[in-house]
Amino acid sequence: MNRLYPKGFNLLLFLLVSHMLVAQTTISGTVLSDEQTPLEGVTIQVKGQAIQTLTNSKGGFTVTVPVLPVLLLISHTGYQKGEFNITTITPSSFRLIRNERNLDEVVVTGYSTQNKKLIAGSIQTINSQAFRDVPASGFNQLLQGKATGVQVNANSGVPGGGITFRIRGNNSINASVDPLYIIDGVFISNTDPIQTGMGQQQGSNPIADINPSDIENITILKDANATAIYGSLGANGVVIVTTKRGRLNSRAKVSLNGYHGWSTATKKFKVASGPETALLTNESRINTVKDNPALPPPSLIAEPDSQPTFDRISDLFRTAHTSNYEVAVQGGTDKSAYYAGFGYIKQEGIVRPSNFERYSGRLNYDNYLNQKVKIGTSVNISRTWRNVSSNDNNPQGVINSAIFVRSYLPVFNSDGTYARYGSFDNHLALINYLGNNAVGWRTIGNVYGEYAILPQLKLRTSWSLDNASEYENNFTSSLLAAGVASNGSAASYETKNLVLTNEQVLTFIQSFGEDGKHSINALVGNTINTVLSQSTSATGTGFASNDLTAVSVASVRSGSSAESRSKLLSVFAKASYTYNNRYTLDASFRADGSSKFGENHRWGYFPSGGFTWRADQEDFIQSLNLFNELRFRTSIGLSGNQNGIGPYAAQGLWQSGSNYLDQPGIAPSQLANPDLTWETTRQSDLGTEFSILNSRLFVSVDYYNKYTYDLLLNVPVPNRTGFATYLQNYGAVSNKGFELAIRSTNINTRTFKWTTEFNISQNTNRIEKLASDITLGASGRNISILRQGYAVNSFQLYKQLYVDPQTGNAVYEDLTKEGNITAADRQIVGNALPRYTGGFTNSFSYKGFDLNIFFYFQQGNKIMNMNDFFLVHGNTQANIGFVPRQLERWQKPGDITDIPRVTTSNRNIEANNSAANNYGGNVANLSSRYLENGSFIRLRTLSLSYTLPSSIINKLKFNNIRAYIQGTNLITITKYGGPDPEVSSQSGNQNTAGYDWATVPQPKTIQIGLNLVF
Amino acid sequence: MTRYLYLYLAFFLLTTSCRKFLNVQPQQQVDASVAITDAVSAEAAVNGLYNRLGSDGYYGSNFISLSYLMGGDIQWTGSQSAPSQIAARALTADNSNIASAWMAIYRTILSANYIIDIVPRLTDPLLTEAKKNQYQGEAYFIRALAYFDLARAWGGVQLITSPTYSKTDQEGIRRSSLAETYAQVLSDLDKAEALLPATVNRNKATQKTVWALKARFYLYQQDWVKAESYASKIIDDAANYKLLKPYNAFFANNVTATAESVFELAYSTSFKNGHYNWWLPPALGGRREWAPNNNLVTLLNDPAIGGNRNSLIAQTAPPGNLWYGKLYYRNPTGTDPAYLMRVAELYLIRSEARVKQTKLTQALTDLNAVRDRAGLSPATAATPEAILLAIENERRFEFAFEADRWFNLVRTGRVSSVLNISDPNKFVFPIPISEIIADKYLDPNLGY
Repeated sequence: MNRLYPKGFNLLLFLLVSHMLVAQTTISGTVLSDEQTPLEGVTIQVKGQAIQTLTNSKGGFTVTVPVLPVLLLISHTGYQKGEFNITTITPSSFRLIRNERNLDEVVVTGYSTQNKKLIAGSIQTINSQAFRDVPASGFNQLLQGKATGVQVNANSGVPGGGITFRIRGNNSINASVDPLYIIDGVFISNTDPIQTGMGQQQGSNPIADINPSDIENITILKDANATAIYGSLGANGVVIVTTKRGRLNSRAKVSLNGYHGWSTATKKFKVASGPETALLTNESRINTVKDNPALPPPSLIAEPDSQPTFDRISDLFRTAHTSNYEVAVQGGTDKSAYYAGFGYIKQEGIVRPSNFERYSGRLNYDNYLNQKVKIGTSVNISRTWRNVSSNDNNPQGVINSAIFVRSYLPVFNSDGTYARYGSFDNHLALINYLGNNAVGWRTIGNVYGEYAILPQLKLRTSWSLDNASEYENNFTSSLLAAGVASNGSAASYETKNLVLTNEQVLTFIQSFGEDGKHSINALVGNTINTVLSQSTSATGTGFASNDLTAVSVASVRSGSSAESRSKLLSVFAKASYTYNNRYTLDASFRADGSSKFGENHRWGYFPSGGFTWRADQEDFIQSLNLFNELRFRTSIGLSGNQNGIGPYAAQGLWQSGSNYLDQPGIAPSQLANPDLTWETTRQSDLGTEFSILNSRLFVSVDYYNKYTYDLLLNVPVPNRTGFATYLQNYGAVSNKGFELAIRSTNINTRTFKWTTEFNISQNTNRIEKLASDITLGASGRNISILRQGYAVNSFQLYKQLYVDPQTGNAVYEDLTKEGNITAADRQIVGNALPRYTGGFTNSFSYKGFDLNIFFYFQQGNKIMNMNDFFLVHGNTQANIGFVPRQLERWQKPGDITDIPRVTTSNRNIEANNSAANNYGGNVANLSSRYLENGSFIRLRTLSLSYTLPSSIINKLKFNNIRAYIQGTNLITITKYGGPDPEVSSQSGNQNTAGYDWATVPQPKTIQIGLNLVF
Repeated sequence: MTRYLYLYLAFFLLTTSCRKFLNVQPQQQVDASVAITDAVSAEAAVNGLYNRLGSDGYYGSNFISLSYLMGGDIQWTGSQSAPSQIAARALTADNSNIASAWMAIYRTILSANYIIDIVPRLTDPLLTEAKKNQYQGEAYFIRALAYFDLARAWGGVQLITSPTYSKTDQEGIRRSSLAETYAQVLSDLDKAEALLPATVNRNKATQKTVWALKARFYLYQQDWVKAESYASKIIDDAANYKLLKPYNAFFANNVTATAESVFELAYSTSFKNGHYNWWLPPALGGRREWAPNNNLVTLLNDPAIGGNRNSLIAQTAPPGNLWYGKLYYRNPTGTDPAYLMRVAELYLIRSEARVKQTKLTQALTDLNAVRDRAGLSPATAATPEAILLAIENERRFEFAFEADRWFNLVRTGRVSSVLNISDPNKFVFPIPISEIIADKYLDPNLGY
């Protein structure tokens, strides 16, 4: 604001001077942004003359000039400068183009803001404009395809459901691989609080507690130079969210936002019809007897062709509605600035009965008490509500109950009650009676004070809290399979996650020497951090009626509670030195002490260093007349990880609760490891950015190499010790990759603009060192494997080579060359990690119209299709139906297919090309035929919006009016045979990615919306 | 400016020098160094030991299921490959159910070793000598049972007799022979017998429990005289132990700890028997993934063979008509006991021991006691071979859903002819492959 005073003074001077002269011509006009919103505080200068003014809150201005024509220079922070030739006094509007390169902007980095040109780290800022209006509940989901080096996938189509978010690959096996989220300086808990069993899925996305519309921008810190300042929290990258704040001296602006959307599945499940199921069953029974003539003659389903078909799939899906309403006010006086927002969203799941609802409120307030002291606060309060429905490996989940049951079996018994088969429930009973409600309250708040000790020395202290509480009440009525025996059961959970953070930062910024050739930006600080998790649960069984649903009225009740806390102390320092605006050298250092580790290995030290060269400032580059910008960056550093391990991981422990005869009991549960310490990631990064063709083409390239060692690994120990695993620092993982981002302004005229953005990221993950294979996943089937020399999230299966056209039996690769098929013949046949991910955006604007087309793509990942695994079983599963793929089975000599002959024979199970291993036997259906290519390219969003011209808006006394129509996931191109390739059913564990197992597919949405600003 | 720096530094040091801040102790667990220190914690450790014995991996369901699934009368109706491998008697070394039983047994041994090591050294005056003896005796008994189960399922194993305080504590120990493993069992049983009181407690180990296990132990050792005499010690205690009529009197109608039981593990809603929902059909809220196969259903329903033991099974209503087992049925409370030793077994042990000593009439008396309880007419067998076969068949139905059939057939050497297993290597389970990899001192079982 200091700058405003000289400007105001100049203006005053100018007015005085102009009054003394004879005033000749007054010109007026309005300055608008590319979105047609009026811009306030824009500087208007008359070229060659000492005349300048600022625009008012409507974007309007008037200047008086001696003579026409004149050249007006219009400039505004964040926008490209405009030069306009004025020949008449007719009022006209001027459009400023947003500065796409953002190169002159300052960006938020760890504990400071820095000029982006001078930063050595790999940092990317995404403006909220890039993801507005998209109907996803969490901002982390919205970053998909928007930033390089970041892989984002929704695990399911459940609204508010879990997200896979990785920055530059999986760094760890046992510790967390999620980034650190910081919102307005508050460290955010990303612990999923849902206790209700959801199968193996992550129950919720805790980030969905934040309304994305409150966000101004998101900065992603990727390399060690950027993240090392966060020490032990930074190894997986850092996501810094800055929410909207008011500006000093700006008029109150009210914005109203609303949209309504209609969603359906991108593709639905398909199962074989009744006659098809009967046909396959009979064929298998006949074949089985052929394989083993000693068996009695097969008993066949009579008249297979006249079997009925009961369509359960249609009951599952619905056209789901999404409604979103928001109101926000922002503005400021000369001393204070404010932003207040309120939002409501209700999102139905496309598969019944899941729902998501969120109320969110935010208040950001800053106040200059005087020239030296500034205080402020950021508070977010939100309430979420979810109707939780279990999926994937739970046979009594609603999707399992609809797709697994044989389609010729009726939905209702003859007496009208719900029919159940095998271990599956009735899908309609679940849809009608599943009563799992989760209510979350989230308070994220921060109070800070800043004191400018000297103009160049500033002390900031900040006190933050993230308080998440989840209150779940579940009732399983006696109409559901899970409640039959118990006469109804209920559970109630209260879960709290509290993160308290206090930090002090002392910042020193100074330029000195001739023309400020030397400049220094330095800071020191400390943080104190406590994480507290508490939960209490009560369960009850035996209810007098299905209308009495509270635990308190159950006939048998029990309860339990849990608590854990961990603490972290840190001190850090960072300094960067710039010479002549050309060379910047920076270094940072952080020391972290964690309560999780043993006293002798508690502290970890994380240094980093980087160098930037602004080559465009060199004469020899400038003489090329090619580059508008050219920079080279390099950095190296260490960062640590302690998240994801238990708070008492280093201690030898006996657990309580090992009771007997209702008397308290204790038993050994954990072997002590006094040497346990930090998992460390060493990362080096090499990057360059340049812009050419008059800044119309901007290119950014990065290469990184990460090596994570001393993994916090649960190493198997011999069971004779009485323990199964032991947490120790062992093993290493590496991630290497390239990132490329291109932005191009293809056409830019006063009325028409076309820009293209493209980004692609490649990552190669490899387990460098591991004590022994770790197998897991798919409920004990161990389809996922961690093996030295391979990437994490690999799949191990029996590799089916072909189906013998003569016998119809599956032939597997015999790795051991023993001539038979044994457990040793399982091998790694693919991986769930994509080789490439990226986004491709084209934006067109013509007058008030904007068209935005955004594609997301990923390539190279495999999906284990568990639906096919279970539903292509050759009749080995008497209680389970089939999917249409089973119809492609081998039937007669000469048939070429990958689905073997149907049979349940179990003779000669060791032999290759034996009927026993088609679906059962040693192979037990763990065949690579169910592993599919998961690559896809998807039209993620297509939106068309129209902003009313300012002339009309002004008449209506509005600031801005914009209406739009948008489609999400309209087109998906993939070879994947399941419902949707963006899926990860076993996402509760980071090492079991890439399963598709009775999971809600992604929604396809059409929405219409309106933004009003006045 | 320096003034402010000092102020800042002082604040800094104040907050960071707090070493105490970083010492956080758990509330739900206790550090191993202070786990067993007095009378209360010693008792808690013994409760924990029974909890381990009854955990899901061991007698809570898994270990029992290995025996009855291998025995050929039970089918697995679920989709998981580990139990279906067992039911097909086509075990591989990576079978996860085998691995979890192995793990659960060694975890039980660890708890026992702690008690045996620490309890004698405790000096709490509230911990009387009698209590000390009882706790140690219980630990010795359970350790004996654990090694007995390891021996009969896997053969000779690594003998661990001291607690693990650090990862390297049990380094270098190799597998003992089968004879050495059984010697360890006997040594522990002898110690337990000396330490435990001769009281009756069906849920915990007493001297009488030791006698019953000794009867079984000597039967496996083919020491017929001792097997008979230890079995008699229990059978003769008719005031406390007797065969209840009808057969289902020891489990139906939610009864627990009946006079039939010599040793059963008790469960509660907070410590559920892992079996409770696996046998019941979906109509009764269960999963019915373990179920009697058609052959067993037919035999149990034959009045001349199953007798009133057909109360072990029932059938769901049409159109399902699924047969299911009823021994474990207390859903959702999960309070079905795990039956480790019943007096019926002691009758059949003594009967067999008497046949081997050619006391055929007495042998038939014992056998017929069990048959009579099941509502069957006396056995007509006359030769020793015929009586032995009759005992084998009686065990098949008497312990249809308990841990007996497989181990019994292996013990008598009849497994090859009854279950068509020709390779004697397959008479023991594979040592889990994960263990072979993790432990360089552990050799695999031949043939796996």
